[in-house]
Amino acid sequence: MNKFSQQPYLLLVLMGLTLTACGGSGDDNTEPNVPTISYPSYTSVIALGGDTTTFDASNSGHGFSTPSLNLTDDELALHLEGDANFEVSFTTAPNSEHPDQDGLGPVFNNADCNSCHQRDGRNSTPFLAADQTRVKLDSAAGIFLRISKAPDQTCTVGTADNQYCAPIKVPDFGDQLFHRGVLKARADWQNNAFVGQADVYLSYERHEVAYDDGIVVSLKKPIFEVENPYDAPDETKQSMNVTSNLLQDDVLMGWRNGMPVFGLGLLEAIPEASILANVDADDSNNDGISGRANWVFDAVKAQQGDDYPVSLGRFGWKANTPSVRVQSLGALRGDIGITNPLFPDESILGTSLHDSYLTRTGFVDTGEDVNGEPEANAEFSDSVVFYAETLAVPARRNVDNTNVREGARLFEQLKCSRCHTPSFVTKTSGDIGGLPMSDSLKSQTIYPFSDMLLHDMGEGLADGRPDFLADGNEWRTRPLWGIGLTQTVNPQAGFLHDGRAATLEEAILWHGGEAQQSTDDFMMLSQDERAQVMAFLMSL
Amino acid sequence: MRFNYTVISLALVATLSACGGSGSDSSDTETPTVGFSFAATDMITNLTDDVIVAGYADLAAQGDALLLATQTLLTSTSQADLVAAQNAWKAARQPWEQGESHIFGPVDSLSIDPHLDSWPLNTTDLQTQLANSSGFDADTIKGWNDDVQGFHTMEYLLFGDGINSNTKQIADLTTKEREYLIALAEVFRDYAVQLDDAWQVSYNPQDTNALPYAELLKTSGDANNAIYSSELAVIEELINGMIGIVDEVGNGKIADPFGESLATADTSKVESQYSWNSLTDFADNIIGVRNVYQGEFTGSTDKTGLIDFVAAADAELSTRVASEIEDAISKIQAISGTTDMPFRQAILDAEGRVRVQTAVDALSTLQASLESDVLPLLSEWNS
Repeated sequence: MNKFSQQPYLLLVLMGLTLTACGGSGDDNTEPNVPTISYPSYTSVIALGGDTTTFDASNSGHGFSTPSLNLTDDELALHLEGDANFEVSFTTAPNSEHPDQDGLGPVFNNADCNSCHQRDGRNSTPFLAADQTRVKLDSAAGIFLRISKAPDQTCTVGTADNQYCAPIKVPDFGDQLFHRGVLKARADWQNNAFVGQADVYLSYERHEVAYDDGIVVSLKKPIFEVENPYDAPDETKQSMNVTSNLLQDDVLMGWRNGMPVFGLGLLEAIPEASILANVDADDSNNDGISGRANWVFDAVKAQQGDDYPVSLGRFGWKANTPSVRVQSLGALRGDIGITNPLFPDESILGTSLHDSYLTRTGFVDTGEDVNGEPEANAEFSDSVVFYAETLAVPARRNVDNTNVREGARLFEQLKCSRCHTPSFVTKTSGDIGGLPMSDSLKSQTIYPFSDMLLHDMGEGLADGRPDFLADGNEWRTRPLWGIGLTQTVNPQAGFLHDGRAATLEEAILWHGGEAQQSTDDFMMLSQDERAQVMAFLMSL
Repeated sequence: MRFNYTVISLALVATLSACGGSGSDSSDTETPTVGFSFAATDMITNLTDDVIVAGYADLAAQGDALLLATQTLLTSTSQADLVAAQNAWKAARQPWEQGESHIFGPVDSLSIDPHLDSWPLNTTDLQTQLANSSGFDADTIKGWNDDVQGFHTMEYLLFGDGINSNTKQIADLTTKEREYLIALAEVFRDYAVQLDDAWQVSYNPQDTNALPYAELLKTSGDANNAIYSSELAVIEELINGMIGIVDEVGNGKIADPFGESLATADTSKVESQYSWNSLTDFADNIIGVRNVYQGEFTGSTDKTGLIDFVAAADAELSTRVASEIEDAISKIQAISGTTDMPFRQAILDAEGRVRVQTAVDALSTLQASLESDVLPLLSEWNS
């Protein structure tokens, strides 16, 4: 290995400064006959997260799990507290032996943050044993289903009356399907111990894609089946008379995988105007790529009494949350069932399931602890939010490698960077998540490779489920920083919103809609060139 | 995980060295030696096969033994059988705890860690299941929450609540507890085998053609290796793994129950409190660090380990870290004092707390050396 390919970015910066200082003329180009190959400006950039970038773990499975390098001592302490809390495994309330860790559920998807964001990255893709045609999601699953009722018409302007275009909750269920439960979550718990609102099964539908050179890639798409809903346990979608609210034909469902949680504070610190500058909702430049902003309900603004609690959506697969704070604490309350100061009510409050659970068990799990406080207090919640805001972005690897450099050129040539926007500069001051931002996040030149906007990605990827202003075909551009370390962090991780792509090549081949031309052009490349694109992505 | 800034100064030194004068005239100035050389391939192969894979193979074997020992309990009235099962649990615990110094790859990606070692337990749910269920089987239990299965649930059933003693009478072991225990041991055995297979057969349970995870470490840097892009990546993984467990033992497993003072000590947070095996757990965690550092299990023939990598850069540092590891292990073991005091009692005892603090200090020293002195060697290595 070339030693210098492993050296920190700072070395290159310093070398650049030093060479300049050593008197080298910067404009001494005396060989006009040598053909020049133009590489994009980001080809050799190593510190994708600016000063926050980590180098000591950027080659290994620890690459997503280190604090930003530029935190103060106090900030580092808060980050480390959040780190510990991120791994807390919650138990059923009441748990007299461990009261500070109870409050799980009563229905939920996982018992801790780490299970859906394994080592701060993506979750493992569910696998089927040799004799299985489908697998039931259990405690090993980091994936779940979002659910909602199909709207009568497209919601284009959010108002208080239409809940700002929020997904319409499924009566007696909500907008997220909780497939797990505490022991007695259901009235029929003796036959359905630890089962949540319904059982969810996953299977795969497969097809193949062939390049002109004869190489074939097998693609898989996860299919869901929902059974055993708590409101009608014997019914299935095929039943003659479907009474369950969940199994109605107008209930929309879509998979959601856990996402990496590093670099999120930097993404939130991108000036809103910088993101909106790339919006081209009607494709006025006729390049086949639109780019739309999602405008979403902002629980922080609502709690602060804002008359119009709507903000630019940035996080989630459809950019349906505005901040790390809303995203993290929403997941704490939703995915795990731990209420907190921003979301003090259980997510299933008011449903038959919750009512019957409280009545039947006499358990105190109304979302409040014995002191009438939310299950996670402000200190716990704030530390988890800060942790996710300040996990460092890993440095790139192998930037001097010829294939990596050629791959960068092809990335540009294929127009990938039209949506995977390479770079932004974060704002110099202001708030994130309703609180003053850490100095560590300010004025950083970052390379997330995302425009943070929504794009129609075609029918193949569509879940048909609108989410605020995002329609059923749209997804927010996924940042690519760190993506080359994904399976170093978790070898079972998959790509895209449901983990369907086992490799980055598969992920590219799923790109349709606005990205179809780029995919078509990628398929026209030679095998070596395709490998170069992969080499570039793996260096990120 | 804390990081230091040594690497920055190294970069600066390297750069300033490069700016010494005319690039075409280096003959009259002595170029300072930068970095160090070390051929890592044998070390990676040895650590992978003889430490990591050997440890997981042992875990799988101990899983078989534990299952047999619990099956013996089904109708037994012999106290010796219960003690044998307790000892089988402790024997299985050892390779697991030692393996926590390299807790990456399949143990995490297959969610085996939370399935086997979730803490705390939910004893309320456990008692409810014992009262209401019958005919426990492994497949059903796998679908239950992690806080009613794994090591600590087996521990609770085998040893009792651990408050005043870690002994239990065979007569107090109910039929349902025995059935549940056997099913739990079968679940444990299955996961241990799955983990062993992932390292030795295929890392992806759904693709039998995928490489064993061990091969991914040993072929790091190969063009088609999507996991480890270089040997440096593997060494970085191993060093950070050591740092991670030293940090967890010192600042989590010990510090959390220890508290700031006697008044804030919390025995409910003590891991392996039912069996009073906590100090053995903690020591095994650091013995696991020693295994990776030395490249062999205690008492085995000397093989290549990270100590050789460190020695190639700095011989004094390599022996200092070795002695700091030994010191941390012995200080943890010394927490029990002269009265064989378990950890959950030691944190409530004035003299015991002094011994605990001594162990925490030894772990802090080791952690600082690994972070500030060992990890930065990666950027000096001419790999």
